[in-house]
Amino acid sequence: MKKQVLIIPFIFILIILSFFYLLIIDRNPAEIPSQLLNKNYPNFETDLLLKEKKFIASEEFGKGKVLVNFFATWCKPCRDEHIYIKNFSDKNGIKIIGINYKDDPKKAKKWLKKLGNPYSDIPLDKNGSIAIDWGVYGIPETFVINSKGTIKYRHVGPITNEVYKKINFLIEKIQ
Amino acid sequence: MIINRNFIFIFLFFLIQFFSFTTHSVEPEEVLENEKQETRARNISKNIRCMICQNQSIDESNAAIAKDLRILIRNKIKEGNSDKEIYKFLTDRYGDFILLKPPVKLITLMLWLIPFILFIVGVFILFSHNKKSKNNKI
Repeated sequence: MKKQVLIIPFIFILIILSFFYLLIIDRNPAEIPSQLLNKNYPNFETDLLLKEKKFIASEEFGKGKVLVNFFATWCKPCRDEHIYIKNFSDKNGIKIIGINYKDDPKKAKKWLKKLGNPYSDIPLDKNGSIAIDWGVYGIPETFVINSKGTIKYRHVGPITNEVYKKINFLIEKIQ
Repeated sequence: MIINRNFIFIFLFFLIQFFSFTTHSVEPEEVLENEKQETRARNISKNIRCMICQNQSIDESNAAIAKDLRILIRNKIKEGNSDKEIYKFLTDRYGDFILLKPPVKLITLMLWLIPFILFIVGVFILFSHNKKSKNNKI
């Protein structure tokens, strides 16, 4: 009988321990791991913001390392991370593609003129369908794609100094 | 007078609660003409998590991404996709987390089994406690 009664505090302690374990482990419930990691980039075709031609993803990806950044002028964190995107563009060996998400093209052009344009191409995601295809749920989001066209990293939210260092290290490491 | 005022507050509280169960964010222009297709879209939307406001379904959420996903689901239904194909499309991009009801998989097995295990343990404890009480009475 004593043994049976001991089960109750045991289960109780186990539940409490699991609760504290979940509290202390390094996890952010708001950040959902990307399903596209180590998979090929989702293909798309769309208009460009600054050029009078179509952007065809299959012609751009898979030839070298690419950093894809989803941004919009109405998104304040995008402005905050812009300095880091510019720093990436100064580095050799990586192409930066900025996907302009549900934005006003006029405002986007003005924004880039003011803050500087680090992107080699700016495809337009007018209705958000490209973002859904990439599993994006909150911009800014940044992806690092290797020269084979495989997604190697994804960051949700603005790039901070710490993330910047992490991405830089990854760019050096991947092929 | 005070009692009356309290009564009104309680009445209003329950009235708001009652209507909160029936709210949804589907906008008129999103609704499909075909009733059967619309019902299917609503049923799928109720099981899809809004990734921004994580404890709401896209059917209830006003977030822009929830609206985009509602439209996408309706477009896919119109294109002739089955419910299974639509769920697969979404989980391929956002993972199982997008489903409000997690699927039964090896990794989620504990999630499904724990309530039953606790129930059995509870019944067992109750049974042994009753037995002990009876013995004491005798």
